[in-house]
Amino acid sequence: MSAPGALRRVAPWLLLLLAAGVWLGPDYALGQATMVATYAIAGLGVVIVVGQAGQVTFGQGALVALGAYAEAVLAGRGVPVILSLPAAVALGAAGGALASLPAWRLGGLYFGMSTLAFALLVEEALVRWEGLTRGAAGLATPALALAGVALDAPLAQALASLATLLCALFFCRRLLASRLGRAWRAVREDEAAAEACGIDAARAKTLAFAVGGALSGLAGALYAHWIGFISPEQFGLMFSFELLMLAFIGGARRLAGAAWGALVIVAIPQGIAVLRDLLPGDWARAAGLEAMLFGAVIVAVVLLRPGGIAGRR
Amino acid sequence: MRLLSTLLAAVLATVPLSAAATPGVSEREIVVGTISDLSGPTALLGVPVRDGMLMRFEEANAAGGVHGRSVRLAVEDAGYDPKRGILAARKLIQRDRAFAFIANLGTPVVMATMPMVLDAGRLHLFPFSPHEATYSPLHPLKFQVFAPYQEYMEAGTRHMVGRGGYARSCLLYQDDDYGLEVMKGVESGLAQLGKALVTKTSYKRGATDLSSQVARLRAADCDLVVLATVVRETVAAVSEARRIGWEVDMLVTASGYSAQTHELGGAAVEGLYGISVLPHPYAEGASPALAGWIERYRSRFGAAPNVWSVMGYTLADLFVRAAEAAGPTLTAERFAAALEALRSPPDFFGSPQYRFDPTDHLGNRHGRLAQIRNGRWELLTDYLE
Repeated sequence: MSAPGALRRVAPWLLLLLAAGVWLGPDYALGQATMVATYAIAGLGVVIVVGQAGQVTFGQGALVALGAYAEAVLAGRGVPVILSLPAAVALGAAGGALASLPAWRLGGLYFGMSTLAFALLVEEALVRWEGLTRGAAGLATPALALAGVALDAPLAQALASLATLLCALFFCRRLLASRLGRAWRAVREDEAAAEACGIDAARAKTLAFAVGGALSGLAGALYAHWIGFISPEQFGLMFSFELLMLAFIGGARRLAGAAWGALVIVAIPQGIAVLRDLLPGDWARAAGLEAMLFGAVIVAVVLLRPGGIAGRR
Repeated sequence: MRLLSTLLAAVLATVPLSAAATPGVSEREIVVGTISDLSGPTALLGVPVRDGMLMRFEEANAAGGVHGRSVRLAVEDAGYDPKRGILAARKLIQRDRAFAFIANLGTPVVMATMPMVLDAGRLHLFPFSPHEATYSPLHPLKFQVFAPYQEYMEAGTRHMVGRGGYARSCLLYQDDDYGLEVMKGVESGLAQLGKALVTKTSYKRGATDLSSQVARLRAADCDLVVLATVVRETVAAVSEARRIGWEVDMLVTASGYSAQTHELGGAAVEGLYGISVLPHPYAEGASPALAGWIERYRSRFGAAPNVWSVMGYTLADLFVRAAEAAGPTLTAERFAAALEALRSPPDFFGSPQYRFDPTDHLGNRHGRLAQIRNGRWELLTDYLE
């Protein structure tokens, strides 16, 4: 990417951050940026699985949960981040590969249902395995520490998550340009034709899930640190659907779609909450106003940009 | 990166830093923040709590405010989502500059936001979470009035079994931290009487059919069933028992002590025992003071108040009393010291007396026994020690 091209892509994000910083205060804007970047990393996993490999997944939230719990358990036992983070990524990848096994036999919605079952199994296991996860009571996670320095300031957290997102984007970009990326797209367009061309479709799908799982695990690890307290209910089916929605709103076929989708999913409700404060009297108190407005924004995006914000019109 | 740094520096430069010594306290106003659930799974609780608090603060403002300052409640809706809770906390700390956080709702939200609130030097008051971390270990800025379920279920079970002479106590519990907390209390209460649970059975949150669990409890020949359920499951469990002709006594936790329980359950839940940490404000038979309050609430919000409205009102009242006692120079430290010395007087709701001291920031540990009689909860005992 040329320097002016890179600037053109980064400029809207910086302007958004700047506007949010002036309007809402720097810590709040940086907190938003942290969450948007973290969700975008998880969204990249969905973009790989759904947008590139063309598979249906309803259980991506469970892979985020695996990463979050791996990180929380290891960090809680004093394991340095240089070891715990790769472990979280590896567990996410292993979970993704495991969730993809039914794809060898099943396809389409039937396979989608199996990912749903996988998500339910993971959530149940997190509740039951109390000795490790403290069950439904939840698990506290210490602040992310790099070389003994705790990243507990909003600026440090935002920089860490943005840097991780950029690394993840770079990695995915290289991957999509590789032989494997082409294999994913071939499987997405026509699985039988891809196999006739010598592509091992089952292997390609498993690898898509493993990469998607690794990205989800990475996002989960960061999420655990930023939130500081994780419990199984945070990674329920609603969360999986939220990630799926994120990818489709942003544009499932493009990597930038994950970032745009995360912006809509994470920041728009907060923006609505701020605007609500400006409403007069009892309007500001109306229950469900934010959910209703958020729904309207989603419908508008889907109608106006059916290919997602980053996709073609 | 240099561009980013420059932009961030520009942002920082444009945000005015308040000259006030105490965040959220100006000459005219005290800003109090709350992170509630107005659209999520516990919105039925969040809305009346917020309205109760609004009502008390509006009353205080109409009476001239607290040392001349009006109290403004800044409400954020996190929808029981810790991610939204974190962002809401940041907004309230930095943009609204909340002096204190009051009645934040939901354990995941509270656990995610409390460290940030305390690190910012803001008071963390009376969150709706029975988690022990909300008051222990002792922290100068955190105060709680809701004891873990274990505390009052222990006394409630002990009293109920001792009084009723039950020989075979059983438990139906929600399969989460709430249910496990209740289980600990029930087991401890029974152990003090030299007894143990005969059987226990669980259900997953959101379950609507409890017939197999009720059949199992009946097969175990229980004569008392403790219900660690919320409203809908309470009604489902009791109705199922009555449907199969099983007239066993049942005792539900404070989560089932709600007017909705008898409104939804009707005749089936007649005779159900419950633990109350605050009486429901029934209009019928109310004292003149309570009737006036109910009328004012109804005309202000267009809905009848419930036990959560009373709770919101009571928490806001505690805040106003402590802020008054802290004096005109309001700081977090003065407020905390005033709260530690505060003894809430008896009120027309029948609230427990909340009391804190410098070594204990949990203001109440007691509940009282109640029973549904003639379609409403009636209190049977005083607060059980």
